Amino acid sequence: MKDILTIIFRLTVACLLAGAVMGGAFVLTNQAKRHNAELNERKVMLSLLGYSSVKSAPASLKLHPIYRYLITAKGGEEIGYLLPGGAGEAGMTLVIIDLDGKFVGQRPVALSPEVAKEETKRAAAIQTALGGDGKARYADQTIVVTEGGQRLAYLLPGRFPGFKTFITAMLALNQDFSIRGLEIMESEEDPGLGGEIVQKYFKNQFKAKTLETMRKLGVVKTPLPDEYRRALEADGGAGSGGLSAEQVAKIEAEYSGKDIYALTGATISSRSVTEGVKAMVQKFVYRLGLLDQALKEQKIAVPF
Amino acid sequence: MATDKTSLQLVTNGILNENPIFRLVLSMCPAVGISTTVMNGFMLGVAVLFVQVFSSCTISLFKNVIHPRIRIPTYTLTIATWVTVIDMVLAAYMPVAYAKMGIFIKLIVAFAIITMRLEMFACKESVTASFWDGVGMGLGFMFGMMSLGLVRELLGQGTILGHDVLGFKPLLFFVLPFAGFFCVGLMMAFFNYIELAYRRAKRA
Repeated sequence: MKDILTIIFRLTVACLLAGAVMGGAFVLTNQAKRHNAELNERKVMLSLLGYSSVKSAPASLKLHPIYRYLITAKGGEEIGYLLPGGAGEAGMTLVIIDLDGKFVGQRPVALSPEVAKEETKRAAAIQTALGGDGKARYADQTIVVTEGGQRLAYLLPGRFPGFKTFITAMLALNQDFSIRGLEIMESEEDPGLGGEIVQKYFKNQFKAKTLETMRKLGVVKTPLPDEYRRALEADGGAGSGGLSAEQVAKIEAEYSGKDIYALTGATISSRSVTEGVKAMVQKFVYRLGLLDQALKEQKIAVPF
Repeated sequence: MATDKTSLQLVTNGILNENPIFRLVLSMCPAVGISTTVMNGFMLGVAVLFVQVFSSCTISLFKNVIHPRIRIPTYTLTIATWVTVIDMVLAAYMPVAYAKMGIFIKLIVAFAIITMRLEMFACKESVTASFWDGVGMGLGFMFGMMSLGLVRELLGQGTILGHDVLGFKPLLFFVLPFAGFFCVGLMMAFFNYIELAYRRAKRA
């Protein structure tokens, strides 16, 4: 009996010690890890827009994040968009729209766009701005890219269900809502099967699909044509495979009206990504339409 | 019951006399699965070296308070802790290397060689001796993985460290997982033969 108690005691102490060491390492490294993730995210964003370390982005290129919040107010659910600009110089504005798309009101938020990147500070500022009129819950963010004041593209970070768990992705849309690029940020699909969604020959298939095509985009199980595969592999990389940039663009344009070719042995993953991207695009276009309308009617000045 | 070997002897013991792959035949899963290129072997070798050294020192330090009946859980706990810490540190400060090594590091928790070294050596010896033993075993493992990787990369893909040296691919067979077993067996025979020849030369 005494033996068992000693064993339990020592094992508990060992576990506590191990936990303390791991916890300490986590606290010390978390900041740097998050910083890396942010840098990586920015790199992915720029590469989706067509910039790299070779071809750096011009200074006139600006990224404006819009944060979407769900607000539970007395009158029911509302949606709040936290935008840069508006009333204050350094501040931001919270534009509130109800579920039918009608403008409800706007409130100045004392927050600089730099500080707004931190989720806790942003949530606190929004709650202060709302006062007792409702409770805000963070939903997602969208980034509007402008070049010299003109809208150039939209970046949508998103998450959708995959085969077993969620897939995190970043989608870039052109100004006319056709797809500019897709990047898979995090996924846990089966290696060699669904894991292939990160490969160029799958994710580049979404490129140049128009909004019209996206509405009824499906997945086909026919094999990927060889020339299309070569063009997809060559796209935006050094491995040109004997194809010039024009040839790649031409082949991709030829296939842009077609459905997505499923990965071999991973139809569910292929379908999940396709449905996820479709939903992201359609929701975004609907929401942006309502937001733009409200901004125009209320004459709210925004930098995009 | 301290060892009477010097630090240098402990290191060479790990690399030659008790090489984890060719002599102790431990941790065969990574040896077969990952040693397809020299670079892979090197990456996993470095990761094992660090985990082995840290775990050996920790166990050696606490050897008097570890209850003998729960020593194996304690070893596993120690290894898992160090693997997690190294994983987090690399992810935070060396993101480029982590992108390549990340998957290997998490595998180490289940490596037989590390637990075996803790059981056979670190739980009886001083911290200094355990440190050198850890270094030797880590280097020995790295040497085994890299030499396997060299043979398999050269014969399977015709390259060394990604550089094309042969200009053609001799045998695709060597890249496939089961070729790892053939490779380990052949290399083991090769090293045994060298040793035999050396002994014979010495006797004559």
